Amino acid sequence: MAKPKRVRVMPAKRNLELIMLLFTFGVYAFALAQVQLATIQVLNPEAWFFWSVPVVLALGFHFLLRLKASDADPLLLPIGFFLNSLGIVMIYRLDLAKPMADLDRTVGQRQVIWMAVAMLIAGAILWGIKNHLSLRKYIYISMAVGALLLVLPLLPVIGKTVSGAHLWVNLGPLSFQPGELAKIALTIFFAGYLTSRRESLAVVGRKVLGIRIPPARELGPIAFIWLASLAVLVLQRDLGTSLLYFGLFLVLIYVATARAFYVFVGLIMFVSGAVIASKFMSYVGGRLDGWLDPLNDANYSAVGGSYQIVQSMFGLAHGGLFGTGLGGGLPQIVPLANSDFIVSAIGEELGLVGIFAVLAMYLLLVARALRVANAHSDDFSKLLAVGLGFVIALQVFIVIGGVFRVVPLTGLTTPLLAAGGSSLVANWIIIALLLRLSDTLPKAGTVN
Amino acid sequence: MSELALFIVRAGFLLVLWLFILSIISIIRADLFSERVLSRVVEKNIPTAVSSPTTGLTNIADFSSAPESATVVSAMNSLPTKLVVIAGPLIGTDLVLDRREIRIGRAPNSDFVLDDDYVSSQHARIQKVDDGWLLQDLNSTNGTYVDGQRIGAPVSIKRDMQIRIGKTTFELRG
Repeated sequence: MAKPKRVRVMPAKRNLELIMLLFTFGVYAFALAQVQLATIQVLNPEAWFFWSVPVVLALGFHFLLRLKASDADPLLLPIGFFLNSLGIVMIYRLDLAKPMADLDRTVGQRQVIWMAVAMLIAGAILWGIKNHLSLRKYIYISMAVGALLLVLPLLPVIGKTVSGAHLWVNLGPLSFQPGELAKIALTIFFAGYLTSRRESLAVVGRKVLGIRIPPARELGPIAFIWLASLAVLVLQRDLGTSLLYFGLFLVLIYVATARAFYVFVGLIMFVSGAVIASKFMSYVGGRLDGWLDPLNDANYSAVGGSYQIVQSMFGLAHGGLFGTGLGGGLPQIVPLANSDFIVSAIGEELGLVGIFAVLAMYLLLVARALRVANAHSDDFSKLLAVGLGFVIALQVFIVIGGVFRVVPLTGLTTPLLAAGGSSLVANWIIIALLLRLSDTLPKAGTVN
Repeated sequence: MSELALFIVRAGFLLVLWLFILSIISIIRADLFSERVLSRVVEKNIPTAVSSPTTGLTNIADFSSAPESATVVSAMNSLPTKLVVIAGPLIGTDLVLDRREIRIGRAPNSDFVLDDDYVSSQHARIQKVDDGWLLQDLNSTNGTYVDGQRIGAPVSIKRDMQIRIGKTTFELRG
């Protein structure tokens, strides 16, 4: 018989979450004050609105978790809030830098309101879905919903084209990017579909040169997803979205089957498809040229050329290692600094040190998702958690990689940071689902 | 603002950012660490013959609800060892809990096959966790009930709890 041993006890999860949230509230107030003092030299009561609304929302969400998901991961909410509030600070700061005559100086306010909408929807989802396994009943419905959301922007009347990409839908005064929500629906579908097919995808097939080639009929779905993502590329003229969906599918099929074959074949298929598309579509070709040789004058002055990326490079160089301080740089020179290029604005004002902090946040967020996946014991939950984590990871890689010239620049939003309502709603729903997944973990007797 | 004050504010903000990240990492570390300590203690206590009946012992120690006094003495010895059918067509049947996972359902490859129209092919499963047995409903059509309540999230089951699946009611014994 073993000696009595004390079990190490962690503070209750929700208390931990509250402490971390209070920390982020402080950081947020600090950042807002810094921005106001550096740009308008006074503390303006406007800051009170920017601070109080998100804080009240986050506290409300926290108490909802106490009631409805008391065992959920304590770090997801603070990390999500931190990224979102940092985004609001940068967007507000860019608003302040615009001339008084500019009509569009309320992007920051709108972002706060969208954050409210997003957190309310996320809260409702957390309330409504008691067990994520119930989502498995709806995998074909979510496939249909995902496909419908993808097609919506192509429809006449409601479809809207912004800088060449058909990604938006007009809803009266608002415009919405349905593709952002489609990624959640498709994650649920991929997870459910691969849960039922994984055996046959993983085991069947004959060996050629030591590699097990699956039978042709098992490659059908992959070919279908490949064609669908190429269709997104060609019809919606958006490389980032198409890369995101296909990448997500490859990640999940790899996780489900542990066969690198699918990843190789998938990558070869996607790259060859994209190369062929770039020959026929000036949009893709221009992005490739701007990536490979941005300082070339022909690319720099071309319409949709590398002007934006070059300005961002200058901005990042201006920021250097420690940045110019919030409100101290000139990030407004970069076009679309508050949405696609928000990391470049952060990089200029907070420097490499600040950018690494932001990347570390994303890394921790994805790591929590993978931890949840690892701790679950059934395939559907595992795949769903990995999928939701990788939606964020892939998107961060594609966007931030594009801004920093690691990969060609594509139009995707930076999760939780960039200005844009649809993206905020989608990412808060992802956080709500991850919270639900972490709450239903088989309990191991410890607090976590 | 003077240059020095500006510098302090700038540096201070970056410092705060990284303090936040480091505190998150320290939480994750503590989380991993506490889990490892616990599982090691429990493994040491796994008895060689799980199926040996150990009657007269109280319920297993519940670490999460009584953390101050929680000890792991004989935690595994007091675990139930059998799943007994107390009502339904298979009344009296029992299954020795000698594995980590028991699948219950209509499918012939389940560990406990229930030939009942109200049972889904993969209906529920019981898993061994560090401090006991965990019952999880596998999204069945007609649900799994513990003491009359339909369960959503996995629940930890103990002796004297009545688990109903379709027409069959189980109890943990031994």
